[in-house]
Amino acid sequence: MASRWAGIRRGGAAVVLLLLTGCGVSIPADPQGTLERVSGGELRVGISHQPPWTDITGSEAPSGIEVDLVEEFAGAIDAEVAWTPGGEEQLMMQLQEDQLDMIVGGFTDSSPWTSHAALTTPYVETKGLDGSTAKHVMATVMGENEFTTTLEQFLLDQDVRL
Amino acid sequence: MNGSSRAGAERYRFGHTELPEKPAKALRRAIRLEWIDLVIRVVTVVAMILVAGNSQAMKAAWIEDALSFLPPIAFLIAVRIARRRPTEAHPYGFHRSVGVAHLVAATTLLGMGGYLLIDSALGLLTAEHPPIGLIEIFGTTVWLGWLMIPTVLLTAIPPMILGRMKLKLAPVLHNKVLYADADMNKADWMTALTTAVGVFGIGIGLWWADSAAAILISFSIISDGWKNLRSAVADLMDRRATTFDAKEPHPLIDEVDELLTGIDWVEDAECRIRDEGHVFHIEAFVVPRNGRMPTLDQLAEAREACVDLDWKVQDMVIVPVEKLPEEFLPQLRSA
Repeated sequence: MASRWAGIRRGGAAVVLLLLTGCGVSIPADPQGTLERVSGGELRVGISHQPPWTDITGSEAPSGIEVDLVEEFAGAIDAEVAWTPGGEEQLMMQLQEDQLDMIVGGFTDSSPWTSHAALTTPYVETKGLDGSTAKHVMATVMGENEFTTTLEQFLLDQDVRL
Repeated sequence: MNGSSRAGAERYRFGHTELPEKPAKALRRAIRLEWIDLVIRVVTVVAMILVAGNSQAMKAAWIEDALSFLPPIAFLIAVRIARRRPTEAHPYGFHRSVGVAHLVAATTLLGMGGYLLIDSALGLLTAEHPPIGLIEIFGTTVWLGWLMIPTVLLTAIPPMILGRMKLKLAPVLHNKVLYADADMNKADWMTALTTAVGVFGIGIGLWWADSAAAILISFSIISDGWKNLRSAVADLMDRRATTFDAKEPHPLIDEVDELLTGIDWVEDAECRIRDEGHVFHIEAFVVPRNGRMPTLDQLAEAREACVDLDWKVQDMVIVPVEKLPEEFLPQLRSA
């Protein structure tokens, strides 16, 4: 009996998976299809100045730890990065209005912007001057969970150490 | 030892009323259930905080969790206070504590349903797209949704069981707080199920799934809360006694009338009964046959017979009258 039930359950799970993949649905999926749009296309990234994570003072392209990470991520999904420099508040507004896909700027998981952006899971921890730990995250467009989790997985896979 | 046995005996009474075995047992079980309920709620809230972490989606659930502590606490306080014997300052006893607790539980239920409706409707109107990302546990990464779904489903099980058990005890104890609290348990497990559905919906890219599901069940919670609130307020305003679910007039009303009318010296009888909490307050008017005043023994016997009907009958007065007074017995007018 037990093995029969296990078989049915396995069969049921397989059917559900088949149905989901058959419909082209992966979990989690993007309501607006952000990952599909940026893959092989343009990744619109807001950037606010916060060295050493982000630096936009130079005359050429932005630099910094997070800039390198974003460039690598873009490479992994075959996208071109379009940088939009700005202050945090202005960038957050643009993110909310779907003019950006994500923002970097040395954010930590205690960032107050949780009503404007989805914060990724922390990808690196640093010790602050006062000895407290800061868990670093990036901000992505709200609710585009496939895009966000793909970025999160990429960041975690980099195993960033400082 | 003496102290503990007295405390035990105290448990089986509401004011003057000694509880027979069945309701006494139901009361003990109900008190135990509510304590278990509180412990499970604490565990649930802690589990939610651990799983939900920073996620906005589940932050709202904490407010509901905090609210749902109120009905069990109200029940436990109410039955404690109701046990007190009447005093000079409180000649009717402390049974109304149950009515107050019912009001608290009903308001909580209504508040929870209203909060859920407004919060979810705002989420839909502002097109809030809930983010659910990855989480690292034990060195592996999983989508937080896969953790949330089994967790909320797990939290649905205890209120489902507890609610059913409370529903069985509520009529035995004639306790409307317990009944309202069973509705709260129903609201809990329905919310949990819809959260699971909503999170899965978000998983397959339907950002509105969570809010839409929550709106659907908020109507059912609001309706339960409203029904209980009306019933609690009506009871506190001395409405005629009803069954524990407030669906119909309590059968004891007819039973007392019939018993009194059946006594040989009684020509006609009618009573008014209000629900004090667990027990009833009864004023019965009897018209003696041929206008002959009954003896004190006959009156006492009649009262005893009524008290023997049900443990809820205790606080009762019988008034011999020449004619049934319509101003105190409005039912005569409608009949």
